[in-house]
Amino acid sequence: MTDAPLRTRERELAITRDFDAPRELVFQAWTDPAQLAGWYGPRGFSTPRSKIDMDVRPGGAWSACMVRDDDGFECLSSGVYREVSAPERLVFTWAIEPEPGVAGEESVVTIVFADLGVKTRMTFTQSGFVTDGERRNVEGGWTDALAKLAERMEK
Amino acid sequence: MTEDRLSSTFAALADPTRRAILERLVSGEATVTELAEPFTMSLPAISKHLKVLERAGLVSRSRTAQWRPCRLEAGPLGDVAEWAERYRAFWEGGFDRLDDHLREIQEGSKP
Repeated sequence: MTDAPLRTRERELAITRDFDAPRELVFQAWTDPAQLAGWYGPRGFSTPRSKIDMDVRPGGAWSACMVRDDDGFECLSSGVYREVSAPERLVFTWAIEPEPGVAGEESVVTIVFADLGVKTRMTFTQSGFVTDGERRNVEGGWTDALAKLAERMEK
Repeated sequence: MTEDRLSSTFAALADPTRRAILERLVSGEATVTELAEPFTMSLPAISKHLKVLERAGLVSRSRTAQWRPCRLEAGPLGDVAEWAERYRAFWEGGFDRLDDHLREIQEGSKP
């Protein structure tokens, strides 16, 4: 199949979440590999501590291999830190390999941790570019509010 | 879809009032007055939001009827939803676990 990838398009996703924890702790959950191993990855995947490498400083590289619980299928995510301002701001590039050894679409993740006293408001933004070729490689099946909205509208 | 169109779709979706208007229009056409009802906003403010949605191609308005009901247009949403929602689902699964994780480590650190 020939797939000339070509047009790139800008995309953005924003998620805001409040956590019942001081922001130092929420920041550490992103920057301490032992803690990242406790939560990172989509539903149905785990990320063992042994498969995480992080050099948490601007210009430092990170990688985290997610393992599917069902069958051990592995998916590598990686990037480079751009900004590390504990405990309030973290910026890094982020990409997942569509298949082993193949570079994935790179996006930039920006996380702002706001101190709300006993709680922390985490504002997560992912922005990036995607080629038409890459889009076709993407597995479907992950939907939620907006996708469902679009679906309902098409009926 | 052109780049410009996609940017305007994103800009349009970035606002909670406009998303609420789209949600409302899923259940059918509505006039500006009907759309304004749930909000503590003036009609001109709602009209302004509608213009943004119209420019993004998410909403169209009847040219014939005097009250010009608004209708949802599905096209642009599918494209945006595809990218953003794929990653939203990815992260939200993890953030649910992060929530649990933060609870656990705090309980664990208590004497």
